[in-house]
Amino acid sequence: MSVRPSSWPVIVSYLILIIYTIATFFPFSWAILISLTPITYFDDNGNERGVNIFDWPPKLKLFPKPSAFGAPLTLRNYKLIFEVVPLYRRWLLNTVIYAGILTIGNVILNSLGGYAFARLNFPLKNFWFTLFLALMMVPGQVTLIPQYNMLVRFGLINTYAGLFLPKLTSIFGLFMMRQFFLNFPKELEEAARIDGFGILRTYFRIVLPNALPAISALSIYTFLGAWNDFQWPLIIMSSKENYTLTLGLNFFRSSYYTYWQYMMAASIFMTIPMIIIFLSFQKYFVESGKAVAIKG
Amino acid sequence: MKGLRLKYRTKEAIVGYLFAAPVIVSVLVFAIYPIFAAFYYSLTDYQPLEARKFMYVVDPYGALELHTGILREEAGNYTLDELLANFDPIQFVQLDLGVNLDDTEKELVKRYFDSASLISDFREGKLPERLKVSEFMKRYMRAYGHKFSKYVPKFVGLQNFEDIFSDKLFYTSFWNAFLYSLVVVPIQTLLAIILAVAANSKIKGVGFFKAVFFLPAITSSAALSMVFMLLYSKPGVINKILVAIFGKFGFQPIDYLNEPSIALFAIMAMNIWSTAGYFMVTFLAGLQDIPSSIYEAAKIDGSNKFQMFWKITMPLLRPQIVFVSIMGTVGCMQVFDQIYFLVRNLRNITISYYIYKNAFEYGKMGYASALAVLLFAVILILSLIQRKLIKEQY
Repeated sequence: MSVRPSSWPVIVSYLILIIYTIATFFPFSWAILISLTPITYFDDNGNERGVNIFDWPPKLKLFPKPSAFGAPLTLRNYKLIFEVVPLYRRWLLNTVIYAGILTIGNVILNSLGGYAFARLNFPLKNFWFTLFLALMMVPGQVTLIPQYNMLVRFGLINTYAGLFLPKLTSIFGLFMMRQFFLNFPKELEEAARIDGFGILRTYFRIVLPNALPAISALSIYTFLGAWNDFQWPLIIMSSKENYTLTLGLNFFRSSYYTYWQYMMAASIFMTIPMIIIFLSFQKYFVESGKAVAIKG
Repeated sequence: MKGLRLKYRTKEAIVGYLFAAPVIVSVLVFAIYPIFAAFYYSLTDYQPLEARKFMYVVDPYGALELHTGILREEAGNYTLDELLANFDPIQFVQLDLGVNLDDTEKELVKRYFDSASLISDFREGKLPERLKVSEFMKRYMRAYGHKFSKYVPKFVGLQNFEDIFSDKLFYTSFWNAFLYSLVVVPIQTLLAIILAVAANSKIKGVGFFKAVFFLPAITSSAALSMVFMLLYSKPGVINKILVAIFGKFGFQPIDYLNEPSIALFAIMAMNIWSTAGYFMVTFLAGLQDIPSSIYEAAKIDGSNKFQMFWKITMPLLRPQIVFVSIMGTVGCMQVFDQIYFLVRNLRNITISYYIYKNAFEYGKMGYASALAVLLFAVILILSLIQRKLIKEQY
């Protein structure tokens, strides 16, 4: 009957982890539940009835049919957000384009730069490196206004180009790639050089194909950051058809203030791709988790 | 052989620059220049609407038809002098072209605007159909046309900074950001350590817990804000649960986001919830690097679990603690998204939101830049202090 003293810490640990798991899941589960709750439904007599999602208790039932607040659960809200807000499709496309272009740009340009800073000697290298390091201290709020004004001057406000041009490289990404190339076995490159490979050929044929783990981590990190970005699109994109999904959420709030079901469906909808990416590439997240914070 | 090596080094330098060029150029254009510009703006009264006025595309025929009351097809029927008699350059530029002029600009237009050439182009149908204000002015000013090509904000010296120190909202928003960091950073760090220690104590399913705790970190703060807006609402589920438990002790539902004394703390709680699990992964990696022999030695010396935690685990986690608290502080001082979505009262705004409001809603970019420069200075000082703390440790 007695529990060995050394197993107490394990029990306490499980307790802590399980409680925090519940705490983590709860907001998501509640949001999913609301997103599955219809705004109106037809009762057994064929009468249309409204649903009050603030009812208490929520009358959760799984059998015979899943229901909450007395209404049968349905995926219809996820379809309806595209109909209620016709621009939603466009916002999704904008977000995919923004995140996609940023990812491609960052992977190509930061890996080139990272390799140069890790392996090649060029004049002023240390100067640039120190400068970049110092720049990481500068808060985004400082550069935001001049960047905006610059884009105004070039007529790029409210355009895709204005949205992604300033974000095609990142100092963080550069450092990440540089770190990877520093740890990359030099022997491979030396062997390639003995075989008569030039720098370019060595890079594209030997180094890059072996840098896939770092490139994956950088892509995921960039894609996620762009997908979830809010402040930059908010400032650059002024017309509704240029919104991204995060800006679109804001639009839901003002126009469909009481339709919590749609808002939750939209919130969960834009999270699902991130969860899929996360579950498929989990090991890269943990790696980048050692080096950097995704957000404050 | 020597010549060959030299050649390789030159090649290396060229390729090195080619490879690094995109990043260097991008940093120069989108980081270095903006930093200098921000410092410069902070000493001016930069007004975005004024800055844009020379870039508007105008329709000179339409404006002239409006001004003279004569259609372009009929303009040829009048003599130059007849048309000129009814033409006032300042009024034309201000009202009909729609370009707001300040006093010096008015004076320049009065003296140097080439009315005759404009009117004769109008009569002969030689006016351009559509062009930018700057191009128009360059064309029809006899001199000083360049003054209308680029907006030059008025230099006000340190006026913005003086204004800041008598601005109540500055103090409020700055204090809120500071309070935000002061509450969120220690709690999320401690919580992350506790979770990491728990996950490191020979339990099953660590991968599962790590994945779950990561979930809020990969969700956009915009979506999380929406979810918490629902949870925190007065008839929302948090109140329902609290009433169910504490109702008999007289607990009343709280309108978390509309109650100015509570709103910011509610947002802090959400932030802690969304980042603690994420930082736990950082600490777990640190914990796994601590050799178990240290703990075994401590056990032999008779230390208990608590002593081990404070005397061994915490000091050895110092690098991670410093890293997490620097990242956390920098992030919290700049918190924006959650504030944008959830704050309903100016008393609860933070500095980055106040900067945004000044720049993009009030049209006071000079003032906003001064605020940003000040925020920069504070973050710099905070990170220097934190950096010094690391140095002392090693």
